[in-house]
Amino acid sequence: MAILEVKDLQAGYGKVDVLFGVSFSLEPGQSLGIVGPNGAGKSTLMKAIAGEVALKSGSVHLQGSPISGKKPEDVVRLGLSLVPEGRQIFGGLTVTENLMLGLTGRRDKASSKQALDQVRGLFPVLNTHAEYQAGMLSGGQQQQLAIARALVADPKVLLLDEPSLGLAPTVIMDVFSKLKEIIALGTSVVIVEQRAHLVTAFAEKTLIIRAGKVQATLTPEDAKDEVALRRAYFGAGA
Amino acid sequence: MQAILDAISLGGTYALAALGLGLVFGVMRLVNFAHAELITISAYVMVVTNDLPLLISFLLASLVAALLAILTELAIYRRLRGTGPAIMLIASFGLSVGLQKSYELIFGALPRSAAVAPWMTGSFEFAGLNFTISSLVTVAITIAILLAMGYLVERTTLGLQLRAAATDFKTARLLGVRSNRLIGSAFAISGILASAVGFILVVENPQVDPMFGLNITILALVGIVIGGISSLRGAALGGFIVGFILSILNTFLGNARVYAYSYLFLAVVIILLVRPGGILSKRNEMERV
Ligand SMILES: Nc1ncnc2c1ncn2[C@@H]1O[C@H](COP(=O)(O)OP(=O)(O)OP(=O)(O)O)[C@@H](O)[C@H]1O
Ligand SMILES: [Mg+2]
Repeated sequence: MAILEVKDLQAGYGKVDVLFGVSFSLEPGQSLGIVGPNGAGKSTLMKAIAGEVALKSGSVHLQGSPISGKKPEDVVRLGLSLVPEGRQIFGGLTVTENLMLGLTGRRDKASSKQALDQVRGLFPVLNTHAEYQAGMLSGGQQQQLAIARALVADPKVLLLDEPSLGLAPTVIMDVFSKLKEIIALGTSVVIVEQRAHLVTAFAEKTLIIRAGKVQATLTPEDAKDEVALRRAYFGAGA
Repeated sequence: MQAILDAISLGGTYALAALGLGLVFGVMRLVNFAHAELITISAYVMVVTNDLPLLISFLLASLVAALLAILTELAIYRRLRGTGPAIMLIASFGLSVGLQKSYELIFGALPRSAAVAPWMTGSFEFAGLNFTISSLVTVAITIAILLAMGYLVERTTLGLQLRAAATDFKTARLLGVRSNRLIGSAFAISGILASAVGFILVVENPQVDPMFGLNITILALVGIVIGGISSLRGAALGGFIVGFILSILNTFLGNARVYAYSYLFLAVVIILLVRPGGILSKRNEMERV
């Protein structure tokens, strides 16, 4: 059974429609990439799945149970976490306080300590800089914090909206190798990216979204084919 | 000396009022004018239950104010959430006036009065100087409440959630912070803070009418603007400064005390010219507001 199943999802802001029927499914332990030009609706899709933007129609199922229509604070408790675009860490709070907030959405509070230890093992900087104001961290460190903060809630599905935003290429490689570890630990991952090559090579399959619709699905094979990638990304004629 | 103690005690009272307002503003971006009516209802409850032991009477006032605060959240503000700050502001104005009218129906338009804690109006001598008991008790209560609030905000999970929600409620919710529960808690605490203010005021001025809490609320708002609306510490400090200045002006202006407000607002204008975001503002915090 798919761990995350999105069916014919339509959503937008007020009267403005942004997504016009997006469908996909994610198997347990898999990774899914989502690419597309600016304004395609990628972030809106993430917010709709996480409960921040209301669905106009369609459905979202997590492990077979519907989560569409639920509030974000309830969705996270059911096992789906979103690392939002721009990281959105609390810059005025310490690294540890940010992680404590991440625990809010955890169902099993008894093992909170292990969860903290686990992410500190995965991202040692969170240990060495525990009492730093999060706003003082570098961009890459902040991204690690944002991912760790979502992970301590023990999600079955982790959504990441442009984790590479504003990061240097070597730092991006670091982040992606951490994501590999996270997937290996049993979390299914959806990654929204501007950098189509990167994510297409990384994920088992990658959706191309344009104008609120899934235009094509790519496999890591396609990442090698520059022309096919461009065509899918920019539409026919590119 | 008594003038300084008076000024500190009035400053503390205003700080408590500003803190209650700042707490709700933090989580909802709402300037809750009806905070005045929370103060007023506490004073009414204390007058009406004056025959009971003081502590019981005060606890009842706190309970009623906290419940009323939660009720206004549930019945009015929750429905308007997401409609934008202007509509919320107008609603809080309307609610404030509506509650005043209700008080008039329930308690009458004329002031209700009772000598609440009459022992506090006495004075005592210390080191050759005369002090009123009430100002000393007020200072003690204020310090105790500020310490308790400091602990709550800085050291507890609820406080962490309040701080997070005040900077970015959307992200806080994504992490699992339950919005309704958190906002309800902020309102309840603001009600309890209002009851402390109501108690302090009613000891000094036992004439409670439907507009009892209005003056201090408006001046506390001025204080919040001075201190910087983006932090509770700033709000409390701003409230304190306004109360302190006002008390000093009232003491030293003598017959010219009718001009106290003019001088106060002049001071406000000067402070805002020097620090437009408030005394404790940082650049990055200003951008948010
Ligand atoms: N809060 C909002 N209110 C109204 N319209 C919005 C809002 N957020 C996004 N939009 C609109 O929805 C459309 C899709 O935006 P979205 O952020 O989902 O795109 P995106 O694919 O994530 O783009 P990017 O690659 O730039 O992050 C855009 O046209 C945008 O203007
Ligand atoms: Mg986006």
